[in-house]
Amino acid sequence: MSFSRIRAIILQELFITRRSLEVIVDLPYFSVQTIVVFGFFSLFLSGTSHLSSANYLILGLLLWEIIRIVQYSISVAVLWNIWSRNLSNMFITPLTIKEYFIAQMLSGIIKTIVIFSVISVIASLLFKFNILSVGLINLILFFINLTFFGWSVGIIIVGTIFRFGTRIQSLAWGLVFIFQPLTASLFPVKILPPFFQAIAYMLPPTYVFEAARASLADPSVKWEYMGIAFIQNIIYLLLSLWLFNIMFNKSKETGQFAKNEG
Amino acid sequence: MNDTILEVEKLVKNYGHFRAVDGISFVVPKGKIIGLLGPNGAGKTTTIQILVGITTATGGAIKYFGKDFFKNREHCLQRINFTSSFNELQGRISVWENLLVFSGLYSLKNHEKKIKELIEYFEITDLLNQRFWDLSAGQKTRVNLIKSLINDPELILMDEPTASLDPDIADKTLSLIEKLRKSKGISILYTSHDMEEVTRICDEVIFLDHGKIVAQDTPVELTKRIPMAKLSLTFDQVNKHFVEEFLKENGFKYGLENNYSVTIDTEEKLIPKIIFGISKKGVWITDIEVKKPTLEDVFLQIARGDKYVI
Repeated sequence: MSFSRIRAIILQELFITRRSLEVIVDLPYFSVQTIVVFGFFSLFLSGTSHLSSANYLILGLLLWEIIRIVQYSISVAVLWNIWSRNLSNMFITPLTIKEYFIAQMLSGIIKTIVIFSVISVIASLLFKFNILSVGLINLILFFINLTFFGWSVGIIIVGTIFRFGTRIQSLAWGLVFIFQPLTASLFPVKILPPFFQAIAYMLPPTYVFEAARASLADPSVKWEYMGIAFIQNIIYLLLSLWLFNIMFNKSKETGQFAKNEG
Repeated sequence: MNDTILEVEKLVKNYGHFRAVDGISFVVPKGKIIGLLGPNGAGKTTTIQILVGITTATGGAIKYFGKDFFKNREHCLQRINFTSSFNELQGRISVWENLLVFSGLYSLKNHEKKIKELIEYFEITDLLNQRFWDLSAGQKTRVNLIKSLINDPELILMDEPTASLDPDIADKTLSLIEKLRKSKGISILYTSHDMEEVTRICDEVIFLDHGKIVAQDTPVELTKRIPMAKLSLTFDQVNKHFVEEFLKENGFKYGLENNYSVTIDTEEKLIPKIIFGISKKGVWITDIEVKKPTLEDVFLQIARGDKYVI
Protein backbone atom coordinates (compact mmCIF):
# COMPACT_ATOMS: atom_id res chain seq x y z
CA MET A 1 0.00 0.00 0.00
CA SER A 2 1.47 3.32 -1.07
CA PHE A 3 0.35 6.62 0.44
CA SER A 4 1.92 8.46 -2.49
CA ARG A 5 -0.29 6.65 -5.02
CA ILE A 6 -3.43 7.20 -2.92
CA ARG A 7 -2.53 10.89 -2.67
CA ALA A 8 -1.97 11.06 -6.45
CA ILE A 9 -5.48 9.76 -7.16
CA ILE A 10 -7.02 12.18 -4.67
CA LEU A 11 -5.00 14.97 -6.29
CA GLN A 12 -6.30 13.99 -9.73
CA GLU A 13 -9.86 14.07 -8.36
CA LEU A 14 -9.23 17.53 -6.95
CA PHE A 15 -7.86 18.79 -10.29
CA ILE A 16 -10.79 17.30 -12.24
CA THR A 17 -13.39 18.64 -9.81
CA ARG A 18 -11.87 22.10 -9.90
CA ARG A 19 -11.88 22.23 -13.69
CA SER A 20 -15.13 20.42 -14.55
CA LEU A 21 -18.40 22.24 -14.87
CA GLU A 22 -20.10 18.81 -14.99
CA VAL A 23 -18.92 17.91 -11.50
CA ILE A 24 -19.99 21.31 -10.18
CA VAL A 25 -23.44 20.83 -11.73
CA ASP A 26 -23.79 17.18 -10.67
CA LEU A 27 -22.65 17.70 -7.10
CA PRO A 28 -22.99 21.08 -5.35
CA TYR A 29 -25.47 22.57 -7.81
CA PHE A 30 -27.79 19.53 -7.88
CA SER A 31 -27.60 19.13 -4.09
CA VAL A 32 -28.36 22.79 -3.43
CA GLN A 33 -31.14 22.84 -6.01
CA THR A 34 -32.78 19.75 -4.47
CA ILE A 35 -32.66 21.21 -0.97
CA VAL A 36 -34.00 24.57 -2.09
CA VAL A 37 -36.91 23.14 -4.12
CA PHE A 38 -37.94 20.57 -1.55
CA GLY A 39 -37.19 22.96 1.29
CA PHE A 40 -39.87 25.30 -0.03
CA PHE A 41 -42.16 22.33 -0.49
CA SER A 42 -41.55 21.40 3.15
CA LEU A 43 -42.41 24.98 4.15
CA PHE A 44 -45.69 24.57 2.30
CA LEU A 45 -46.33 21.29 4.15
CA SER A 46 -45.50 22.81 7.52
CA GLY A 47 -47.94 25.63 6.73
CA THR A 48 -50.65 23.05 6.25
CA SER A 49 -50.11 21.52 9.72
CA HIS A 50 -47.84 18.70 8.44
CA LEU A 51 -44.80 19.85 10.39
CA SER A 52 -43.38 16.38 10.96
CA SER A 53 -43.82 15.46 7.29
CA ALA A 54 -42.06 18.64 6.30
CA ASN A 55 -39.14 17.86 8.57
CA TYR A 56 -39.03 14.21 7.43
CA LEU A 57 -38.75 15.41 3.87
CA ILE A 58 -35.93 17.84 4.42
CA LEU A 59 -34.08 15.46 6.75
CA GLY A 60 -34.43 12.61 4.25
CA LEU A 61 -33.17 14.77 1.40
CA LEU A 62 -30.15 15.98 3.35
CA LEU A 63 -29.17 12.45 4.37
CA TRP A 64 -29.89 11.04 0.92
CA GLU A 65 -27.29 13.38 -0.53
CA ILE A 66 -24.62 11.51 1.48
CA ILE A 67 -25.35 8.28 -0.41
CA ARG A 68 -25.63 10.05 -3.74
CA ILE A 69 -22.40 12.04 -3.50
CA VAL A 70 -20.30 9.16 -2.15
CA GLN A 71 -21.59 6.80 -4.83
CA TYR A 72 -21.25 9.37 -7.61
CA SER A 73 -17.73 10.15 -6.54
CA ILE A 74 -16.59 6.53 -6.89
CA SER A 75 -18.49 5.64 -10.07
CA VAL A 76 -18.05 8.78 -12.13
CA ALA A 77 -14.35 9.12 -11.28
CA VAL A 78 -13.72 5.98 -13.33
CA LEU A 79 -15.67 7.42 -16.23
CA TRP A 80 -13.65 10.66 -16.29
CA ASN A 81 -10.59 8.53 -16.99
CA ILE A 82 -12.29 6.18 -19.44
CA TRP A 83 -13.63 9.13 -21.43
CA SER A 84 -10.12 10.63 -21.51
CA ARG A 85 -8.62 7.24 -22.50
CA ASN A 86 -6.39 7.49 -19.44
CA LEU A 87 -7.61 4.58 -17.31
CA SER A 88 -5.14 2.05 -18.80
CA ASN A 89 -2.33 4.54 -18.31
CA MET A 90 -3.15 4.65 -14.62
CA PHE A 91 -3.33 0.89 -14.21
CA ILE A 92 -0.03 0.24 -15.95
CA THR A 93 1.62 2.12 -13.10
CA PRO A 94 2.17 0.25 -9.81
CA LEU A 95 -1.25 1.54 -8.66
CA THR A 96 -3.36 -1.28 -7.20
CA ILE A 97 -7.12 -1.46 -7.32
CA LYS A 98 -7.16 -1.37 -3.50
CA GLU A 99 -5.26 1.93 -3.46
CA TYR A 100 -7.51 3.29 -6.18
CA PHE A 101 -10.67 2.54 -4.21
CA ILE A 102 -9.25 3.86 -0.95
CA ALA A 103 -8.41 7.12 -2.72
CA GLN A 104 -11.88 7.37 -4.26
CA MET A 105 -13.53 6.56 -0.94
CA LEU A 106 -11.56 9.30 0.80
CA SER A 107 -12.23 11.72 -2.02
CA GLY A 108 -15.94 10.90 -1.76
CA ILE A 109 -15.90 11.60 1.99
CA ILE A 110 -14.20 14.97 1.48
CA LYS A 111 -16.71 16.01 -1.20
CA THR A 112 -19.63 14.79 0.90
CA ILE A 113 -18.52 16.64 4.04
CA VAL A 114 -18.13 19.88 2.08
CA ILE A 115 -21.43 19.64 0.19
CA PHE A 116 -23.38 18.25 3.13
CA SER A 117 -22.16 21.13 5.28
CA VAL A 118 -23.21 23.67 2.64
CA ILE A 119 -26.70 22.25 2.14
CA SER A 120 -27.17 21.85 5.89
CA VAL A 121 -26.38 25.53 6.36
CA ILE A 122 -28.83 26.40 3.56
CA ALA A 123 -31.50 24.25 5.22
CA SER A 124 -30.86 25.99 8.48
CA LEU A 125 -30.89 29.54 7.09
CA LEU A 126 -33.76 29.23 4.63
CA PHE A 127 -35.98 26.63 6.23
CA LYS A 128 -35.07 26.78 9.93
CA PHE A 129 -34.13 23.10 9.88
CA ASN A 130 -31.18 22.29 12.10
CA ILE A 131 -29.60 18.98 11.14
CA LEU A 132 -27.86 18.88 14.53
CA SER A 133 -31.27 18.51 16.15
CA VAL A 134 -30.94 14.76 15.45
CA GLY A 135 -27.94 14.74 17.83
CA LEU A 136 -24.26 14.92 16.91
CA ILE A 137 -23.49 11.26 17.64
CA ASN A 138 -26.54 10.22 15.68
CA LEU A 139 -25.45 12.38 12.78
CA ILE A 140 -21.97 10.83 12.77
CA LEU A 141 -23.43 7.32 12.86
CA PHE A 142 -25.87 8.17 10.07
CA PHE A 143 -23.02 9.60 8.02
CA ILE A 144 -20.87 6.49 8.49
CA ASN A 145 -23.65 4.07 7.61
CA LEU A 146 -24.84 5.99 4.57
CA THR A 147 -21.25 6.42 3.36
CA PHE A 148 -20.68 2.67 3.57
CA PHE A 149 -23.80 2.05 1.51
CA GLY A 150 -22.76 4.65 -1.09
CA TRP A 151 -19.37 2.92 -1.37
CA SER A 152 -20.98 -0.49 -1.93
CA VAL A 153 -23.26 0.80 -4.68
CA GLY A 154 -20.38 2.75 -6.26
CA ILE A 155 -18.04 -0.25 -6.25
CA ILE A 156 -20.62 -2.49 -7.92
CA ILE A 157 -21.24 0.16 -10.59
CA VAL A 158 -17.49 0.46 -11.28
CA GLY A 159 -17.24 -3.34 -11.58
CA THR A 160 -20.19 -3.37 -13.98
CA ILE A 161 -18.62 -0.62 -16.11
CA PHE A 162 -15.30 -2.50 -16.21
CA ARG A 163 -17.08 -5.71 -17.15
CA PHE A 164 -19.59 -4.43 -19.72
CA GLY A 165 -18.08 -1.15 -20.87
CA THR A 166 -19.41 2.36 -21.10
CA ARG A 167 -22.68 1.27 -22.74
CA ILE A 168 -24.07 0.96 -19.21
CA GLN A 169 -22.44 4.17 -17.98
CA SER A 170 -25.76 5.85 -17.15
CA LEU A 171 -25.95 3.52 -14.14
CA ALA A 172 -23.29 5.74 -12.60
CA TRP A 173 -25.92 8.47 -12.18
CA GLY A 174 -29.17 6.55 -12.24
CA LEU A 175 -28.86 3.27 -10.35
CA VAL A 176 -28.68 4.78 -6.89
CA PHE A 177 -32.11 6.38 -7.23
CA ILE A 178 -33.70 2.90 -7.18
CA PHE A 179 -32.83 2.90 -3.50
CA GLN A 180 -34.43 6.24 -2.70
CA PRO A 181 -37.99 4.83 -2.44
CA LEU A 182 -36.83 1.34 -1.42
CA THR A 183 -34.99 2.67 1.63
CA ALA A 184 -37.93 4.89 2.61
CA SER A 185 -35.69 7.90 2.63
CA LEU A 186 -38.47 10.50 2.54
CA PHE A 187 -41.32 8.72 4.36
CA PRO A 188 -41.79 6.12 7.09
CA VAL A 189 -41.29 2.49 6.05
CA LYS A 190 -44.85 1.60 7.09
CA ILE A 191 -46.11 3.58 4.06
CA LEU A 192 -44.60 0.95 1.77
CA PRO A 193 -46.59 -2.17 0.77
CA PRO A 194 -45.53 -5.27 2.80
CA PHE A 195 -43.41 -6.76 0.00
CA PHE A 196 -41.39 -3.54 -0.37
CA GLN A 197 -41.17 -3.20 3.42
CA ALA A 198 -39.42 -6.59 3.45
CA ILE A 199 -36.98 -5.36 0.82
CA ALA A 200 -36.51 -2.08 2.67
CA TYR A 201 -35.43 -3.87 5.83
CA MET A 202 -32.73 -5.66 3.86
CA LEU A 203 -31.15 -2.30 3.03
CA PRO A 204 -29.02 -0.50 5.64
CA PRO A 205 -30.14 3.07 4.80
CA THR A 206 -33.72 2.14 5.78
CA TYR A 207 -32.60 1.78 9.41
CA VAL A 208 -30.72 5.07 9.20
CA PHE A 209 -33.71 6.98 7.83
CA GLU A 210 -36.05 5.39 10.39
CA ALA A 211 -33.66 6.23 13.20
CA ALA A 212 -33.19 9.75 11.88
CA ARG A 213 -36.91 10.44 11.82
CA ALA A 214 -37.27 9.04 15.32
CA SER A 215 -34.38 11.16 16.55
CA LEU A 216 -36.18 14.37 15.58
CA ALA A 217 -38.47 13.71 18.53
CA ASP A 218 -35.92 11.92 20.72
CA PRO A 219 -32.23 12.48 19.90
CA SER A 220 -31.01 9.49 21.89
CA VAL A 221 -28.90 7.07 19.84
CA LYS A 222 -30.88 4.22 18.29
CA TRP A 223 -28.17 1.60 18.79
CA GLU A 224 -30.26 -1.29 17.60
CA TYR A 225 -31.02 0.33 14.26
CA MET A 226 -27.46 1.54 13.89
CA GLY A 227 -26.07 -1.90 14.74
CA ILE A 228 -28.26 -3.66 12.19
CA ALA A 229 -27.40 -1.06 9.56
CA PHE A 230 -23.70 -1.39 10.29
CA ILE A 231 -23.70 -5.20 10.11
CA GLN A 232 -25.68 -5.09 6.87
CA ASN A 233 -23.26 -2.47 5.52
CA ILE A 234 -20.25 -4.67 6.27
CA ILE A 235 -21.96 -7.56 4.47
CA TYR A 236 -22.86 -5.36 1.49
CA LEU A 237 -19.38 -3.88 1.29
CA LEU A 238 -17.72 -7.31 1.34
CA LEU A 239 -20.25 -8.54 -1.20
CA SER A 240 -19.63 -5.56 -3.47
CA LEU A 241 -15.85 -6.07 -3.29
CA TRP A 242 -16.27 -9.76 -4.05
CA LEU A 243 -18.51 -9.02 -7.03
CA PHE A 244 -16.16 -6.28 -8.17
CA ASN A 245 -13.23 -8.70 -8.13
CA ILE A 246 -15.14 -11.22 -10.23
CA MET A 247 -16.13 -8.54 -12.76
CA PHE A 248 -12.66 -6.93 -12.82
CA ASN A 249 -10.94 -10.27 -13.42
CA LYS A 250 -13.47 -11.21 -16.08
CA SER A 251 -12.96 -7.81 -17.71
CA LYS A 252 -9.21 -8.40 -17.94
CA GLU A 253 -9.75 -11.96 -19.12
CA THR A 254 -12.10 -10.98 -21.95
CA GLY A 255 -10.03 -7.93 -22.91
CA GLN A 256 -12.94 -5.61 -22.07
CA PHE A 257 -10.85 -3.61 -19.59
CA ALA A 258 -8.43 -2.58 -22.35
CA LYS A 259 -11.29 -2.08 -24.82
CA ASN A 260 -13.21 0.26 -22.51
CA GLU A 261 -11.31 3.21 -23.90
CA GLY A 262 -12.36 2.39 -27.45
CA MET B 1 24.90 -9.53 -14.76
CA ASN B 2 21.54 -10.17 -16.39
CA ASP B 3 21.20 -8.20 -19.61
CA THR B 4 17.69 -9.40 -20.36
CA ILE B 5 15.04 -6.85 -19.49
CA LEU B 6 11.98 -8.76 -20.63
CA GLU B 7 11.57 -12.47 -21.17
CA VAL B 8 8.35 -13.83 -22.64
CA GLU B 9 7.90 -17.58 -22.64
CA LYS B 10 5.19 -19.56 -24.43
CA LEU B 11 2.64 -16.78 -23.97
CA VAL B 12 -0.90 -17.82 -24.85
CA LYS B 13 -4.12 -15.82 -24.92
CA ASN B 14 -7.47 -17.32 -25.82
CA TYR B 15 -10.66 -15.33 -26.25
CA GLY B 16 -13.19 -18.16 -25.98
CA HIS B 17 -12.29 -20.52 -28.82
CA PHE B 18 -10.21 -17.90 -30.62
CA ARG B 19 -6.47 -18.01 -29.93
CA ALA B 20 -5.14 -14.46 -30.21
CA VAL B 21 -1.61 -15.22 -29.01
CA ASP B 22 -0.27 -18.68 -29.69
CA GLY B 23 2.70 -19.67 -27.56
CA ILE B 24 5.10 -16.85 -28.42
CA SER B 25 8.54 -16.55 -26.80
CA PHE B 26 11.03 -13.72 -27.14
CA VAL B 27 13.38 -11.56 -25.13
CA VAL B 28 14.13 -7.84 -25.05
CA PRO B 29 17.81 -7.31 -24.19
CA LYS B 30 19.08 -4.23 -22.39
CA GLY B 31 19.41 -1.15 -24.61
CA LYS B 32 17.79 -2.74 -27.68
CA ILE B 33 14.75 -1.70 -29.67
CA ILE B 34 12.67 -4.70 -30.66
CA GLY B 35 9.91 -4.24 -33.21
CA LEU B 36 6.72 -6.25 -32.92
CA LEU B 37 5.09 -6.32 -36.34
CA GLY B 38 2.25 -8.06 -38.04
CA PRO B 39 -0.99 -7.51 -39.92
CA ASN B 40 -4.18 -6.45 -38.11
CA GLY B 41 -5.33 -9.20 -35.78
CA ALA B 42 -1.85 -10.74 -35.56
CA GLY B 43 -1.83 -10.41 -31.78
CA LYS B 44 0.50 -7.41 -31.30
CA THR B 45 -1.82 -5.24 -29.22
CA THR B 46 -3.05 -8.19 -27.16
CA THR B 47 0.57 -9.09 -26.41
CA ILE B 48 1.34 -5.54 -25.30
CA GLN B 49 -1.83 -5.43 -23.16
CA ILE B 50 -0.78 -8.65 -21.42
CA LEU B 51 2.75 -7.32 -20.95
CA VAL B 52 1.44 -4.27 -19.06
CA GLY B 53 -1.08 -6.28 -17.06
CA ILE B 54 -4.37 -4.88 -18.33
CA THR B 55 -5.33 -8.17 -20.00
CA THR B 56 -4.68 -11.54 -18.39
CA ALA B 57 -2.79 -14.30 -20.16
CA THR B 58 -4.26 -17.76 -20.61
CA GLY B 59 -0.84 -19.36 -20.27
CA GLY B 60 2.89 -18.80 -20.38
CA ALA B 61 5.29 -16.69 -18.36
CA ILE B 62 6.49 -13.08 -18.40
CA LYS B 63 9.61 -12.03 -16.56
CA TYR B 64 10.86 -8.49 -16.13
CA PHE B 65 14.39 -8.16 -14.78
CA GLY B 66 14.30 -11.89 -14.01
CA LYS B 67 11.17 -11.60 -11.86
CA ASP B 68 7.79 -13.17 -12.56
CA PHE B 69 5.47 -10.35 -13.65
CA PHE B 70 2.29 -11.97 -12.33
CA LYS B 71 3.78 -12.35 -8.85
CA ASN B 72 5.70 -9.04 -8.77
CA ARG B 73 3.35 -6.69 -10.60
CA GLU B 74 4.12 -3.54 -8.61
CA HIS B 75 7.88 -4.02 -8.68
CA CYS B 76 7.91 -4.66 -12.45
CA LEU B 77 5.54 -1.80 -13.33
CA GLN B 78 7.65 0.61 -11.26
CA ARG B 79 10.56 -0.05 -13.65
CA ILE B 80 8.78 -0.03 -17.01
CA ASN B 81 6.42 2.33 -18.81
CA PHE B 82 4.08 2.42 -21.76
CA THR B 83 2.99 4.85 -24.42
CA SER B 84 0.47 4.49 -27.20
CA SER B 85 -1.23 6.70 -29.70
CA PHE B 86 -4.46 5.05 -28.56
CA ASN B 87 -4.16 6.26 -24.98
CA GLU B 88 -4.14 9.82 -23.76
CA LEU B 89 -3.75 11.53 -20.44
CA GLN B 90 -6.62 13.05 -18.46
CA GLY B 91 -8.01 15.62 -20.87
CA ARG B 92 -9.73 17.89 -18.36
CA ILE B 93 -6.63 18.79 -16.41
CA SER B 94 -3.43 20.57 -17.40
CA VAL B 95 -0.21 18.99 -18.61
CA TRP B 96 1.52 19.93 -15.34
CA GLU B 97 -1.32 18.46 -13.25
CA ASN B 98 -1.24 15.23 -15.27
CA LEU B 99 2.50 14.90 -14.79
CA LEU B 100 2.14 15.60 -11.06
CA VAL B 101 -0.42 12.78 -10.80
CA PHE B 102 1.83 10.32 -12.62
CA SER B 103 4.85 11.31 -10.56
CA GLY B 104 2.74 10.42 -7.51
CA LEU B 105 1.63 7.12 -9.04
CA TYR B 106 5.31 6.22 -9.47
CA SER B 107 6.10 7.55 -5.95
CA LEU B 108 8.84 9.83 -7.27
CA LYS B 109 11.06 11.80 -4.96
CA ASN B 110 12.05 15.23 -6.29
CA HIS B 111 9.18 14.98 -8.75
CA GLU B 112 9.13 18.70 -9.60
CA LYS B 113 12.80 18.57 -10.61
CA LYS B 114 12.19 15.47 -12.71
CA ILE B 115 9.18 16.97 -14.49
CA LYS B 116 11.03 20.22 -15.19
CA GLU B 117 13.99 18.29 -16.57
CA LEU B 118 11.75 16.35 -18.95
CA ILE B 119 9.68 19.30 -20.13
CA GLU B 120 12.87 21.18 -20.97
CA TYR B 121 14.24 18.15 -22.82
CA PHE B 122 11.03 17.86 -24.87
CA GLU B 123 10.68 21.65 -25.21
CA ILE B 124 7.11 21.96 -23.98
CA THR B 125 7.56 24.48 -21.17
CA ASP B 126 4.94 26.74 -22.75
CA LEU B 127 2.30 23.97 -22.69
CA LEU B 128 2.39 23.23 -18.97
CA ASN B 129 -0.75 25.11 -18.04
CA GLN B 130 -2.79 24.01 -21.04
CA ARG B 131 -5.44 21.36 -20.67
CA PHE B 132 -4.34 18.09 -22.25
CA TRP B 133 -7.37 17.96 -24.56
CA ASP B 134 -6.47 21.37 -26.03
CA LEU B 135 -3.11 20.11 -27.34
CA SER B 136 -2.40 19.15 -30.95
CA ALA B 137 -1.65 15.51 -31.84
CA GLY B 138 2.08 16.18 -31.94
CA GLN B 139 2.05 17.98 -28.59
CA LYS B 140 0.04 15.12 -27.04
CA THR B 141 2.60 12.63 -28.31
CA ARG B 142 5.41 14.58 -26.66
CA VAL B 143 3.52 14.79 -23.37
CA ASN B 144 2.77 11.06 -23.59
CA LEU B 145 6.48 10.43 -24.09
CA ILE B 146 7.26 12.54 -21.03
CA LYS B 147 4.75 10.49 -19.06
CA SER B 148 6.44 7.33 -20.28
CA LEU B 149 9.83 8.58 -19.06
CA ILE B 150 8.77 10.04 -15.75
CA ASN B 151 9.85 7.01 -13.70
CA ASP B 152 13.20 6.58 -15.52
CA PRO B 153 12.02 3.27 -16.99
CA GLU B 154 14.42 0.60 -18.12
CA LEU B 155 11.90 -0.56 -20.72
CA ILE B 156 9.19 1.32 -22.60
CA LEU B 157 6.46 -0.50 -24.47
CA MET B 158 5.38 1.65 -27.39
CA ASP B 159 2.19 0.75 -29.22
CA GLU B 160 2.16 2.60 -32.54
CA PRO B 161 3.38 5.85 -30.99
CA THR B 162 3.45 7.69 -34.31
CA ALA B 163 0.06 6.55 -35.65
CA SER B 164 -2.12 9.50 -36.67
CA LEU B 165 0.82 11.92 -36.65
CA ASP B 166 1.76 13.86 -39.74
CA PRO B 167 5.11 12.83 -41.32
CA ASP B 168 7.04 15.78 -39.90
CA ILE B 169 5.91 15.18 -36.30
CA ALA B 170 6.34 11.42 -36.73
CA ASP B 171 9.93 12.03 -37.86
CA LYS B 172 10.59 14.28 -34.86
CA THR B 173 9.12 11.66 -32.55
CA LEU B 174 11.36 8.98 -34.01
CA SER B 175 14.37 11.25 -33.60
CA LEU B 176 13.43 11.72 -29.97
CA ILE B 177 13.16 7.95 -29.49
CA GLU B 178 16.57 7.45 -31.10
CA LYS B 179 18.02 10.18 -28.90
CA LEU B 180 16.52 8.58 -25.81
CA ARG B 181 17.95 5.19 -26.59
CA LYS B 182 21.38 6.72 -27.11
CA SER B 183 21.36 9.01 -24.08
CA LYS B 184 19.57 6.81 -21.55
CA GLY B 185 20.16 3.27 -22.87
CA ILE B 186 16.46 2.44 -22.59
CA SER B 187 15.10 -0.80 -24.07
CA ILE B 188 12.00 -0.45 -26.21
CA LEU B 189 9.39 -2.89 -27.45
CA TYR B 190 7.89 -1.14 -30.44
CA THR B 191 4.81 -1.93 -32.49
CA SER B 192 4.05 -0.14 -35.72
CA HIS B 193 2.56 -0.56 -39.17
CA ASP B 194 5.14 1.76 -40.66
CA MET B 195 7.94 -0.40 -42.04
CA GLU B 196 10.23 2.53 -42.78
CA GLU B 197 10.28 3.64 -39.17
CA VAL B 198 10.76 0.09 -37.97
CA THR B 199 13.73 -0.34 -40.32
CA ARG B 200 15.06 2.98 -39.06
CA ILE B 201 14.94 2.40 -35.33
CA CYS B 202 14.63 -1.33 -34.55
CA ASP B 203 17.60 -3.58 -33.85
CA GLU B 204 15.49 -6.67 -34.27
CA VAL B 205 12.04 -7.38 -35.63
CA ILE B 206 9.54 -10.01 -34.59
CA PHE B 207 6.81 -10.76 -37.12
CA LEU B 208 3.56 -12.03 -35.71
CA ASP B 209 0.82 -13.63 -37.74
CA HIS B 210 -2.28 -15.34 -36.35
CA GLY B 211 -0.77 -15.06 -32.90
CA LYS B 212 2.47 -16.84 -33.78
CA ILE B 213 5.98 -15.62 -34.38
CA VAL B 214 6.62 -16.32 -38.06
CA ALA B 215 9.95 -14.53 -38.43
CA GLN B 216 12.47 -12.92 -36.12
CA ASP B 217 15.68 -11.23 -37.19
CA THR B 218 17.36 -7.90 -37.83
CA PRO B 219 15.62 -5.75 -40.48
CA VAL B 220 18.56 -6.28 -42.88
CA GLU B 221 18.58 -10.05 -42.50
CA LEU B 222 14.81 -10.18 -42.91
CA THR B 223 14.93 -8.33 -46.21
CA LYS B 224 17.61 -10.75 -47.39
CA ARG B 225 15.04 -13.51 -47.11
CA ILE B 226 13.47 -12.17 -50.29
CA PRO B 227 16.03 -13.05 -52.96
CA MET B 228 14.18 -11.13 -55.67
CA ALA B 229 14.86 -7.55 -56.76
CA LYS B 230 13.49 -5.22 -59.40
CA LEU B 231 16.00 -4.08 -62.01
CA SER B 232 15.07 -1.08 -64.14
CA LEU B 233 17.16 -0.32 -67.22
CA THR B 234 17.01 2.66 -69.54
CA PHE B 235 18.59 2.29 -72.97
CA ASP B 236 18.83 3.79 -76.44
CA GLN B 237 15.38 3.14 -77.93
CA VAL B 238 16.69 1.81 -81.26
CA ASN B 239 17.93 -1.25 -79.30
CA LYS B 240 14.60 -2.28 -77.80
CA HIS B 241 14.35 -5.54 -79.78
CA PHE B 242 17.87 -6.62 -78.65
CA VAL B 243 16.86 -6.15 -75.02
CA GLU B 244 13.66 -8.15 -75.46
CA GLU B 245 15.53 -10.84 -77.36
CA PHE B 246 18.02 -11.30 -74.51
CA LEU B 247 15.35 -11.39 -71.83
CA LYS B 248 13.19 -13.87 -73.72
CA GLU B 249 16.15 -16.13 -74.53
CA ASN B 250 17.05 -16.31 -70.84
CA GLY B 251 13.50 -16.65 -69.54
CA PHE B 252 13.35 -13.47 -67.46
CA LYS B 253 10.04 -11.93 -66.36
CA TYR B 254 9.99 -8.34 -67.53
CA GLY B 255 7.73 -5.43 -68.42
CA LEU B 256 8.47 -2.75 -70.99
CA GLU B 257 7.50 0.63 -69.66
CA ASN B 258 8.04 2.30 -73.05
CA ASN B 259 10.46 2.00 -75.98
CA TYR B 260 13.51 2.84 -73.90
CA SER B 261 13.01 1.33 -70.44
CA VAL B 262 12.31 -2.09 -69.00
CA THR B 263 11.73 -3.48 -65.51
CA ILE B 264 12.91 -7.01 -64.78
CA ASP B 265 11.99 -9.19 -61.79
CA THR B 266 15.04 -11.20 -60.97
CA GLU B 267 17.11 -12.77 -58.26
CA GLU B 268 19.63 -10.26 -56.96
CA LYS B 269 22.59 -12.46 -57.88
CA LEU B 270 21.56 -12.48 -61.59
CA ILE B 271 21.66 -8.68 -61.96
CA PRO B 272 25.31 -8.53 -63.22
CA LYS B 273 24.54 -11.30 -65.72
CA ILE B 274 21.59 -9.33 -67.15
CA ILE B 275 23.49 -6.08 -67.44
CA PHE B 276 26.50 -7.79 -68.97
CA GLY B 277 24.34 -9.88 -71.34
CA ILE B 278 22.37 -6.91 -72.65
CA SER B 279 25.52 -4.86 -73.08
CA LYS B 280 27.09 -7.70 -75.06
CA LYS B 281 24.24 -7.38 -77.56
CA GLY B 282 25.53 -3.90 -78.29
CA VAL B 283 22.87 -2.07 -76.26
CA TRP B 284 23.96 1.20 -74.71
CA ILE B 285 22.48 1.23 -71.19
CA THR B 286 22.00 4.82 -70.04
CA ASP B 287 20.56 4.25 -66.55
CA ILE B 288 20.39 1.39 -64.05
CA GLU B 289 18.16 1.26 -60.99
CA VAL B 290 17.99 -1.66 -58.57
CA LYS B 291 15.09 -1.82 -56.11
CA LYS B 292 15.98 -4.16 -53.30
CA PRO B 293 13.23 -5.69 -51.15
CA THR B 294 12.20 -3.65 -48.13
CA LEU B 295 10.78 -4.69 -44.79
CA GLU B 296 7.41 -3.79 -46.25
CA ASP B 297 7.88 -6.47 -48.92
CA VAL B 298 8.74 -8.96 -46.19
CA PHE B 299 5.66 -7.86 -44.24
CA LEU B 300 3.43 -8.25 -47.31
CA GLN B 301 4.83 -11.65 -48.16
CA ILE B 302 4.36 -12.84 -44.58
CA ALA B 303 0.82 -11.49 -44.52
CA ARG B 304 0.16 -13.42 -47.75
CA GLY B 305 1.72 -16.56 -46.30
CA ASP B 306 4.70 -16.73 -48.63
CA LYS B 307 6.63 -19.74 -47.40
CA TYR B 308 10.15 -18.84 -48.45
CA VAL B 309 10.08 -15.69 -46.36
CA ILE B 310 8.67 -17.50 -43.35
